[in-house]
Amino acid sequence: MIALAPSKADEAFATLLPADASPSERASFAQFRQAGLPSRRVESWHYSDLRARLRTVPPLAAAPDDASLSVARGKLGASARLRIVTVDGFYAPDLSDDVSKIAGVAIASARETDFLGAAADPLLDLNAALSRGGFVLDIAAGARIDPVIEIVALTGAQTDRSRFGRNLIRLGAKARAQIVETRDEGFAGFGDSALFIELGEDAQLDHACRCRETAGVELQSFTATLAARAKLRSVALLAQTPFLRRQYFVSLAGEGAQLHLGGAAVLGRNDHADVTLVVRHDAPHGLSRETFKYVLADHANGVFQGKITVPPHAQKTDGKMMCRGLLLSDEAALSAKPELEIFADDVACGHGAAVTKLDAQNLFYLETRGIPTIEAEKILIDAFAADVFDALESEVLRDLLRVDLSEILGEETLV
Amino acid sequence: MLEIENLHVSIAGKKILNGLTLTVEDGQVAAIMGPNGSGKSTLSYVVAGRADYEVEQGSIRLDGIDLLRKSAAERAALGLFLVFQYPLEIPGVATMTFLKAAINAQRRARGESDLPIPDFMKQVRAAAQKLDISQDMLKRPVNVGFSGGEKKRMEILQMALLEPRFAILDEMDSGLDIDALKTCAEGVNALRGKDRGLLVITHYQRLLDFISPDIVHVMSRGKIVKSGGPELALALEASGYAEYAEGAAA
Repeated sequence: MIALAPSKADEAFATLLPADASPSERASFAQFRQAGLPSRRVESWHYSDLRARLRTVPPLAAAPDDASLSVARGKLGASARLRIVTVDGFYAPDLSDDVSKIAGVAIASARETDFLGAAADPLLDLNAALSRGGFVLDIAAGARIDPVIEIVALTGAQTDRSRFGRNLIRLGAKARAQIVETRDEGFAGFGDSALFIELGEDAQLDHACRCRETAGVELQSFTATLAARAKLRSVALLAQTPFLRRQYFVSLAGEGAQLHLGGAAVLGRNDHADVTLVVRHDAPHGLSRETFKYVLADHANGVFQGKITVPPHAQKTDGKMMCRGLLLSDEAALSAKPELEIFADDVACGHGAAVTKLDAQNLFYLETRGIPTIEAEKILIDAFAADVFDALESEVLRDLLRVDLSEILGEETLV
Repeated sequence: MLEIENLHVSIAGKKILNGLTLTVEDGQVAAIMGPNGSGKSTLSYVVAGRADYEVEQGSIRLDGIDLLRKSAAERAALGLFLVFQYPLEIPGVATMTFLKAAINAQRRARGESDLPIPDFMKQVRAAAQKLDISQDMLKRPVNVGFSGGEKKRMEILQMALLEPRFAILDEMDSGLDIDALKTCAEGVNALRGKDRGLLVITHYQRLLDFISPDIVHVMSRGKIVKSGGPELALALEASGYAEYAEGAAA
């Protein structure tokens, strides 16, 4: 990492570090300070100018009081699903269902922030230093949790705040669960959240993330470790992102682990969404599939950076990474940078990137059946984006994402 | 009634239709035959409303309504239907979703409410059965992985469900073996009626053995050069198109 002179934002973050910070929090903060807020001179931040976007740093969000809980409650609405709610990054048991009623499920407020050996990343360091009050969700070994658990991230603040949510989901050996994460913290403020996922041997997790309204500047880090034969399927639907960087750090640590990552970004206006992933095959016979799609209208800007690393001992790795863009305007842009770093000699790895426009012939075909142009375009856009949802095994999660996508495209759900 | 008058059309500066005039009455089945490059497919696209053609002159009216002022979707809602020579494959769009979107779009354009789902399912099932279209085909994305015959049967299914006032069949026989041709022709014949006009575009007489026309037009160099009864198609089968190509050149 290249050291740079501290920016104004770096200085501002320094004032956020609470006086009662623990030694490990101080150590994380020192690491962040050393690297500084990434600039475009850092290769992995070349396409997302965080320094330019983050001119001011809002005050640290406080643990929710009655007033902010009430704001969040107002946004929550009713749901049949079991929900774990965070407000400004803090686990809010008052707004959450008691998921520990389900046999094999336990939830606790997280005091310790150094859950896992996290990737070397300044934003993860910043998160580790400043986060307070996340949760740890444990699914016991062998437990098969059928109901979908929903994690809802909301804000309760009335003014701009900096939020540092930090949560851990842990599945014991052979456990199975399906989790949907709904991020709806609003456009105000700054967010630097971190989700950690730890899968035991033969564990299986389906995870869907719906990003509805992200902060003016938002960073999301997704860190996962898969033990032998564990399967993680995770798909994100990104929309309404003024400036989002979603970064994945996944390690297929055990033999035969399988990873299916997908994402669909549907962006307009001046939205900017950057998906950066680092997938490390750290054991033999691992399988990974990464498919990310971007629908870009107006002046939207999509960024995809994907790196698959295969060290010498990870023989028989099977990895495929794909990025596709659908450009709906001449001003929209997609920057794609797939990378393979392969040091093992017996692997099957590939990557691809492509951009297209809406197919005029397909559009005409739909129109000749009486479907007006705008609706026909939505049908084709929906079809382009929705196929990444198939990475999920959970039909419930797939359907949730489909309905969300339809809503985003402003159409009623078809059939 | 479809009325085309003195239609001049070009694409990318190249003239394709050259003063074409044609009327197809309600209840009439008209055939257009002609050699490659005579402009038959262009005619079908222009009537259906494809945007990349430039209509330089002339008019197209359906039941007196000027189609050239309407979008492709509006034309469909007015009752126009095109059976594509090469139906498009649309990955990711479920056939049922597509059919429902089409039916309801047309109903809405006519000021009707959406078709209730049970009725929709019933109608599709009944129409599919007649055309030997399996439930499995209906579950797949539109035309994806379908054989040539399956694609054409799917076109006829759409036509049966959308019940157009006027349908153009653009070389429906291309890519079909004789059995598939029979099935499709039976489907089309079932849709013949006194309120519905059909324009059958084809190279070969063969299709007209199964869908017998009331009138046959010969098209060459972008216009109709001869019209006659069904016997004209048989004569063309025997003599070929050379006469008309030369005639137009003279």
